[in-house]
Amino acid sequence: MKNQWLSYFSGSVKVKLSGKGIERLINACLRNDIFIWKVKKHDEYTASFYMLLKDVSKVRLLVRKSECKLYFIDRSGMPFLIKKTLLNSGFFIGTFLFLLLIFLLSNMVWNIQVRGAKPETEYLILKELKKMGIERGAFQFMIDDPEAIQKKLTDHIEAITWVGVELKGTTFYFQVVEKNQPKPEKKMGVRHLVAKKKAVITNMFVEEGQPLVSVNDYVSKGQILVSGFIGKEGQTKTVPARGKIFGETWYKSTVVLPLQSTFHVFTGKYYEKHYLSFKNISLPVWGWKKPAFSHYEIEQQKKPFHFWRWKLPLFYERVIYREKEKVERNYSWEEAFQKAREIARKELLSRLEDDASIKGEKILHQAKENGKVRLEMHYQVIENIGTPQPIIQGD
Amino acid sequence: MFGKWRRQVRNWLANKMELPADILMDLPRITMIGQIHIYIENHRGLLSFSDKEIRLLLKQGQLLVKGEAFVIKTILPEEILLEGKISQVLYLDE
Repeated sequence: MKNQWLSYFSGSVKVKLSGKGIERLINACLRNDIFIWKVKKHDEYTASFYMLLKDVSKVRLLVRKSECKLYFIDRSGMPFLIKKTLLNSGFFIGTFLFLLLIFLLSNMVWNIQVRGAKPETEYLILKELKKMGIERGAFQFMIDDPEAIQKKLTDHIEAITWVGVELKGTTFYFQVVEKNQPKPEKKMGVRHLVAKKKAVITNMFVEEGQPLVSVNDYVSKGQILVSGFIGKEGQTKTVPARGKIFGETWYKSTVVLPLQSTFHVFTGKYYEKHYLSFKNISLPVWGWKKPAFSHYEIEQQKKPFHFWRWKLPLFYERVIYREKEKVERNYSWEEAFQKAREIARKELLSRLEDDASIKGEKILHQAKENGKVRLEMHYQVIENIGTPQPIIQGD
Repeated sequence: MFGKWRRQVRNWLANKMELPADILMDLPRITMIGQIHIYIENHRGLLSFSDKEIRLLLKQGQLLVKGEAFVIKTILPEEILLEGKISQVLYLDE
């Protein structure tokens, strides 16, 4: 006996026969290897049975020779199911499109709100955002993450000190703290100006207070330069001493620089791979090749997809391979000394305040020792040596 | 004459060598499960069928099955599985 459930795949039909000689027709079917089942006789001249869809044409031939008529009553099985599904496919496509639409819309930026900014700053911010591709209708997985946006905004817009970036659902919130450019001058307490360190005074510019030293004086650390007491003896009053006292100070610095050093630099070439990841499974979407770099650094960015207001456990992952290059640097002795001097100077300048300048430099000592140069430098620097010291008044 | 002799030989073989008689002698093998199923092998075609009785052609004679609510579950050139409420199984000789 044949497996009847296999007929589900090939499809089967229920037929009704009416007329004389039904038995003869059934026998004819058997002889022609037509498989039939569930034969039922309703009355003397009608019967119904099931048969395979593929045998329909054969049965038709036999029916034509007999005195019966054939009616199709029911159809079942995969071929009919597929036909039906195709007819209803519009419904499924519609459902799918709807879900896709919701999905896309959930991953868009719909609103940008800037708080705490003056109109002109807000305009600047919006312009900057537009440059970054953040505007209404932009896809969230195409733009940077909030931290990067925050960094870019604070870097590019002078007028703001800090900006808080938050992505809530489909809305970007920017909380801006603007720089108060001209700061209201603080009321200073009464004070002296004292020397920060030992120096020889080269220039003095006193705004308020009684200068106690003059140009070319040698002062030591902590010595009062400009007194906060003014007026004649007996009638003194206290003021906040202000001014700039420039003095020549001395610095010593030692730099050790190896002749040969290796380090890695990025060449600027990169290769991107895009993935759709679900939990631990990553499905590559774009970029199947292996990066053609021998040395590289991997940068990963992972962003969740949204549906409505929920984060899906589905991520968009971007992996960037940045090519690295090993660079070897070799200096000759002369170059190394030259470089060491530059380094020492730079280092010193970065330590000094803006209004300071280097007046002169002297090499105290320079030595070559196993593959390195050692350089000791002495610098004469003109800088503001005045530093405020509050006058603590007794009662 | 010759046919009769052959039948006798086959009968003898079936008896003496305990070979299944249905194969040697082209007899129908009928399996019944209570009253509800009847399974007939080695038939030679359907003669008549209604929901109360079924008549099958055999090599020799006919088989008549009577009962109620007959449905032919499966029918193949030499096998038939009948379902319903079977009350009688009769052999008819011409």
